[in-house]
Amino acid sequence: MATKTTTKQQGWGRQRRHEALTGWMFLLPFVILFGLSFLAPILVSIRSSLFRMLPSGGGLYGGGGLVETFVGTANFEQVLQLPALWQGLGRVILFGLFQIPIMIGLALTLALLLDSAVVRRPTFFRLGFFLPFAIPGMVAALLWTYIYSPRLSPINQVLEPLGAGIDFFSPNMILFSMANMTTWTFAGYNMLIFLAALQAIPRELYEAARIDGASEWKIVTQIKIPMVAPAAMLAILLSIIGTIQLFNEPTVLATVNPWMGTSFTPMMLAYNAATGQAVPSGSGPASAVSIVMAVFAGVLAAGYALIQRRLTR
Amino acid sequence: MQIRTKRFAGVLGGAAALALIAGCAGGTTPPAATTAPTATDTPAASAPAAEAVTIEYIHRLPDGEGMTKVAELADEWNKANPDIQVTTTKFDGKAADLVTKIEADVAAGTAACLAQAGYAEVPSLFTKGLVEDVTAEAEKYKANYSDGAYTLMTVGGKAVGLPQDGGPLVYYYNKAEFDRLGLTVPTNLDEFKATAKTAADQGKFIAAFQPDEAQYWLSAQAAAAGGTWYSAENDQWKVDADGEASQTVAAFWQEMIDAKTVAVHNRWEDGFKGALNDQSLIGTIGAAWEAPLLVGDMADSPNVGQWAVAQLPAYGDTAMTGPDGGSGVVVLKGCEHPAEAMKFNDWFNTQIDGLVSQGLVVAAKGSMTTPEDVKAFYGGQDVFAELAKANEALNPNFPYIPTFPAIGGNMAEAADNAGQGSGKVADVFTAAQDASVKSLQDAGLPVAG
Repeated sequence: MATKTTTKQQGWGRQRRHEALTGWMFLLPFVILFGLSFLAPILVSIRSSLFRMLPSGGGLYGGGGLVETFVGTANFEQVLQLPALWQGLGRVILFGLFQIPIMIGLALTLALLLDSAVVRRPTFFRLGFFLPFAIPGMVAALLWTYIYSPRLSPINQVLEPLGAGIDFFSPNMILFSMANMTTWTFAGYNMLIFLAALQAIPRELYEAARIDGASEWKIVTQIKIPMVAPAAMLAILLSIIGTIQLFNEPTVLATVNPWMGTSFTPMMLAYNAATGQAVPSGSGPASAVSIVMAVFAGVLAAGYALIQRRLTR
Repeated sequence: MQIRTKRFAGVLGGAAALALIAGCAGGTTPPAATTAPTATDTPAASAPAAEAVTIEYIHRLPDGEGMTKVAELADEWNKANPDIQVTTTKFDGKAADLVTKIEADVAAGTAACLAQAGYAEVPSLFTKGLVEDVTAEAEKYKANYSDGAYTLMTVGGKAVGLPQDGGPLVYYYNKAEFDRLGLTVPTNLDEFKATAKTAADQGKFIAAFQPDEAQYWLSAQAAAAGGTWYSAENDQWKVDADGEASQTVAAFWQEMIDAKTVAVHNRWEDGFKGALNDQSLIGTIGAAWEAPLLVGDMADSPNVGQWAVAQLPAYGDTAMTGPDGGSGVVVLKGCEHPAEAMKFNDWFNTQIDGLVSQGLVVAAKGSMTTPEDVKAFYGGQDVFAELAKANEALNPNFPYIPTFPAIGGNMAEAADNAGQGSGKVADVFTAAQDASVKSLQDAGLPVAG
């Protein structure tokens, strides 16, 4: 008896192990890709932020080589004391404060329109609104730079005869100009998030509301908008993270606007530090900037999620 | 029109390349480069001997229309030297991007043997351990080059490559317009300011202040004023980027900007070219390598045949000029055949006609013949003779620090503010001083004060 049970248990164990193995095999492609493209860069970044490349010898030009030296938290201490980092952070926060509400509002409006009976060919418009997102960010930024460029701007060619030319590159306008670019790109993307949420709402709710005598407007404000609130939260979270990482637009605009410098946004600072075009230079400080910003984005996102949850309760 | 757009697109395209590799700060993916292998059509029969070495050369030369292509020159070399086969790659990005690529390639052990490097980048490449010390080889070819240029390819007495071209500042002006307005070419700063005023009263500008080029353009002017930004004192760097010479340059431009007697244009933006073409801008202080670029900027306009090149006005008591760019070809770390690479390096950089066709004021000794289209634009002037004269008049003492590439952004930022009136030109040099000292300290190099 006893021996029989053992063999049976062993059999069970073998099968279980086999099943577990199969499970892991199915997971493997994900685990490998996740490890390579997500975990590995983060680990490399964290490691690099604790090191610094220092000259291998003394003298005016160093020793003709660099040695990777462990510096502990020195890189973090240095970047946290950089005024440029905090100024850049201030800019992206200011940017997010007005750009995110406008973009989310626009995305929600577009989604509601497409979900209503007003629009004849929703597929056409859905694709049309989403199309800007399919254009690579850099290409879009280049196109907008031409559209804003004082000499070429088609917008100003219309406005200037009316005496209302806009200097898109002036320090007071540049955040707006960038906000316009990102809104154009991402409004369609966020619209899709809302549209998916809207289409998941059971149609019976609308019917019931209509039978109760609710107007279409009432249905929008009392049913649709409350029902897409969780989607709005997701969209806003993604936008906050995207704003902290603002890079393409300011980098391209800075090529024609030297006053923007090398650290207009924190991610520009990280890039220019990594390529030796800003002070501090090197992969150590650059990684430190990236990590500080990742932590900041995390704190911001978590904070927003908490507040949102409180409010909905 | 086309060339301007290309330039502009080039600047932006560089930015695109930047962003593509910016995935993570520690990332080292090199930007894409177009490869043009030059020894592809060698059939097996005439294939070089088995022991032939292959040298890869990566450059940023324009390779434009009507120019002798780098690959063509390499082909010529390959035919004559079956045992040293050279492949060339044109890198389509900014100088800083090429440095990033070199860093990544050297770390990965896949770097080319030879690479183009700006004189101001050479010390930085050395400090980062990206170049080979090829002093022994370079000495053999030293006599072929002007001393000043050869020295720029040495770091602390060690040669790391050979010079290619120089970028002395000169003065370009529309001679026809000058004659019409009764202006003469200014030979010193006071004359320049007076001429600028006379021209401005008649609605013309004889120069433009160029914020985006601040780093090289203004440092070169400080050199022209007799300044030396970086010198060694007790084995430490002594930084003098905001000294007397720089203040001369600052006061010069500030006075004209305040009086609105100069235009303000970024060099690589449409405004500059537009102003040249509508003839509101009838002169510019520019590097020697701009001579053919200006021809392109103003092609098919009434400007053709009207322009001329003159020496830079004297910024101080002695008439001299300063280095605005210019590059050489370095031997990269890990090159397995440095001697063969240097042999090609010397041959290539003494191909004066081919390099002149690329718009370079070559560093090699020998006479340059002005290409026909350039000559036609500048009213039949022997432009390259004038540029060569400027090359001779370079301030001989203007070395760069290993962190020079890190100070450009701050300078351009301050210069843009000065151009828009929200800052002063002197701030550009304060920024240079500050960034120089900080970047040296930050890089762990000895700096005084």
